[in-house]
Amino acid sequence: MALNILVVDDSSVMRSIIIKTLKMTELPLGDIWEAQNGEEGLHLLQEKWIDLALVDIHMPVMDGEEMIRQLRKNNQYENLPVIVVSSESDPNKIEMMLKQGATFVHKPFKPEILKEVIIDVTGVSDEDKD
Amino acid sequence: MKTKIKKALEAASVNTFEDVCFMYQVPELKNSHKNLKLEAASAVRYRGDYTGMLLIETRGNLFSAIASNILSTESPGLRQKKDALGEIANIICGNVVTSLGRGKLGYKIESPKALNKDDLLKKTGHEKPVAEITLNFNEGRADIKFFIDGYSVPAREKKID
Repeated sequence: MALNILVVDDSSVMRSIIIKTLKMTELPLGDIWEAQNGEEGLHLLQEKWIDLALVDIHMPVMDGEEMIRQLRKNNQYENLPVIVVSSESDPNKIEMMLKQGATFVHKPFKPEILKEVIIDVTGVSDEDKD
Repeated sequence: MKTKIKKALEAASVNTFEDVCFMYQVPELKNSHKNLKLEAASAVRYRGDYTGMLLIETRGNLFSAIASNILSTESPGLRQKKDALGEIANIICGNVVTSLGRGKLGYKIESPKALNKDDLLKKTGHEKPVAEITLNFNEGRADIKFFIDGYSVPAREKKID
């Protein structure tokens, strides 16, 4: 199974870093979609088939917290695996994300850490690549 | 607290360069990189129980090398170089503010700003960093400084130490 992934971050550089790291994990990747904020991310979710969302917290227009809140309200996405990728250090904020069923990956991160977390939340493995 | 901040600054900086830019320190270049000219700088302000700034200055060809490595492009444009350096500053700052302790307010980190030489003089001319480190790479040098507003005022200095 190839994973279709949504990367939501207001920094184009950070999106590039995440995508580059995703490619380094050697996991089976399908389409990778990019959004600059939570609102754009929600639109893309309605239009595309997405298996996993990687979401930043601090973004203009709609931040990651609000995006995840909106996601969980919708039956269609209530079980969508979400990984929050942030340098956020506030334990309260991180706890809030975890309560919404998201997993947290702290920036900076090594490809192997991201890979482990993706395998954990999606059940996919690099053996699924072929 | 100063020691804790310096340790956090060093760990965050080394990890960020390794994990994000895939660049590894070459400490033995310290002497040959001593007189490299300043090429670029980026600053990130943070606000919370303390307010202040993280400043990263690059020397040699590091400015371009950071963007090249992150974006996998041989000739990054100026905008890409500024954004890449800013993102590095942002990640390091986000990691270092945790060493200031868990306060009531938490910390808000502003968007990074590229600085020119005049800005640098204005921003850092009267302030002393609480912690600073230098990392040497084959491509050049990074000087990373962490400031807390008012730190150079003696009364505040007492409180920090």
